[in-house]
Amino acid sequence: MVKTKGTRFFIFTFLFIPVIHLLVFSYIPILSNIYLSFTNYNGVNPPKWVGLRNYARIFTDPQYLQLFRNCLWYIIVAIPQLIFAFILAIFVNGKFKYINFFKGVLIIPYLLNGVIISTIFIIFFNNSGTLNSILRLLGLGGLAQQWLQNLRLVNPAIASISIWRYYGLNFLMFFGGLQAIPTELYEAASIDGCTKLQEIRYISIPSIVNILFINIILSISGSIQVFEIPYIMMNGANGTATPVIQIQQSAFYENRVGFAAALSIMVFVIVVITVNIQRIFDKRGNVYL
Amino acid sequence: MIHESRLYKVLRYIFLAAACIFVIVPIIPLIFMAFKTGAEYSSTSVLTPPRNWFNFYNFRYAIKVGNLGKALFNTAVILAISLSIQLLFTTMVSYVLHRFEFKGKKIIFTMFMLTMFIPVVTTQTVVFQIVYRLGLVNKMPSIILLYSGVHIVGIYIMFNQLNAIPKELDESALIDGASYFRIYRSIILPLMKPACTTLLIINGIGHYNDFYIPNLYLRKNVQTFTVALHKFFGNTATPFEIVAAAILLGIVPIMIVFLLLQKHIFYGLAGAVKA
Repeated sequence: MVKTKGTRFFIFTFLFIPVIHLLVFSYIPILSNIYLSFTNYNGVNPPKWVGLRNYARIFTDPQYLQLFRNCLWYIIVAIPQLIFAFILAIFVNGKFKYINFFKGVLIIPYLLNGVIISTIFIIFFNNSGTLNSILRLLGLGGLAQQWLQNLRLVNPAIASISIWRYYGLNFLMFFGGLQAIPTELYEAASIDGCTKLQEIRYISIPSIVNILFINIILSISGSIQVFEIPYIMMNGANGTATPVIQIQQSAFYENRVGFAAALSIMVFVIVVITVNIQRIFDKRGNVYL
Repeated sequence: MIHESRLYKVLRYIFLAAACIFVIVPIIPLIFMAFKTGAEYSSTSVLTPPRNWFNFYNFRYAIKVGNLGKALFNTAVILAISLSIQLLFTTMVSYVLHRFEFKGKKIIFTMFMLTMFIPVVTTQTVVFQIVYRLGLVNKMPSIILLYSGVHIVGIYIMFNQLNAIPKELDESALIDGASYFRIYRSIILPLMKPACTTLLIINGIGHYNDFYIPNLYLRKNVQTFTVALHKFFGNTATPFEIVAAAILLGIVPIMIVFLLLQKHIFYGLAGAVKA
């Protein structure tokens, strides 16, 4: 397009506010956080430089290492979650009776918020709750547990809630990918006498490998940012605290803003590394999402 | 389409039925509980249906004590304002970045793109200070402001749509003497409606369900719906059957929206993924 003074003015007015917003609420905060992470800032007094002390605390104090270890459970449960979502997408992709009913039900968890899901699963894991009642009904009463009080079971138990909560998102992404496969491909395969299993193996799976990869990355970067479920259900008690719960605790209740900033930067660095793993594998260097 | 064997069809229904049970089973006791009386709650199993399905006492109590009507209204106001601003800014930024060549374009686009490496949770220590200095803590404009930013996902969704709008359309309008603003408003915006719907659905669900930001910025006076629901937890004096009723009420608005927009939601979300 022709470039005139008016054009430049137009571009400027359309970009000005969003770019300022971006700077004020994303870039300035992350940069100040990097600086604050090397200080003892408490939110009131001027920050004083303490070097790597905050980071040293995170890496040496078992209490803080535990926060990151808890995230591992959320990464582990992502494996069955992705497999489940993938199989669902394969089955739903097609034409059959009651498809809309199934889609409608399967999407429900994805629409619910953290408070609702936490309540549902407090009832689920309670001593006289859904899970134990079902176990007793099936004659497996011996397996009934105090799921949320048992320090060894509480983290895997609440991490497994993510499967229920987030498989819908993975399912939608896989489904979107399957829908994008051109129908000619299936038709050609059909003429060549391809079976359903071969279709899945040679058409569906290769077509959505990229989406599988995005899902894995989203799961890992989501795992490091877990907050709502352990915060609402447990208030971080019984060793269920996560880095984000601790950030909130340190910054807004203990006035240890410098330390909270260091934790934030740790989370930030892990997310950046995770998202960039994709670049290593994807030679074309495309950025998805 | 490839022929689906009988076995495959049977397997499909078995698997989908099992998946539906997996989804529904944890929710059922919540529904039962919301209709039970206090005595019934403590004396029956969570798997036992309530004696009286027309016992609405818990719901009335929850609405009154939890101020849920006011909270839902607040959420509606916040969503309406922030989604409108966000939609406006997203279409503006996308139009300019898609259709114009100018110095600094690459830098600005990259800046928007790199925000996906900056999770919201890692910046709130500082953002809170900024919002505090602006005097907005515990006031609705705080989260409206935070929700109004332009996200790269939105830009991608818009770009997808803009790719489909021929450039000749803008150019001929330009020759006819239309201003850039006029082109944006009268040609681009109307043609971007499907992308706008997708963005509204994604961010609408996201912001309606958000707990982290309102829990941080609206602790007193004003409450959003999620925060109001969460208040039932802090108050241990609240009987659990009341909490269950409140939570069930929390599911209602999103289900109504879902039933109204079912088709859009499914294809909007799946379509956004393709983008």
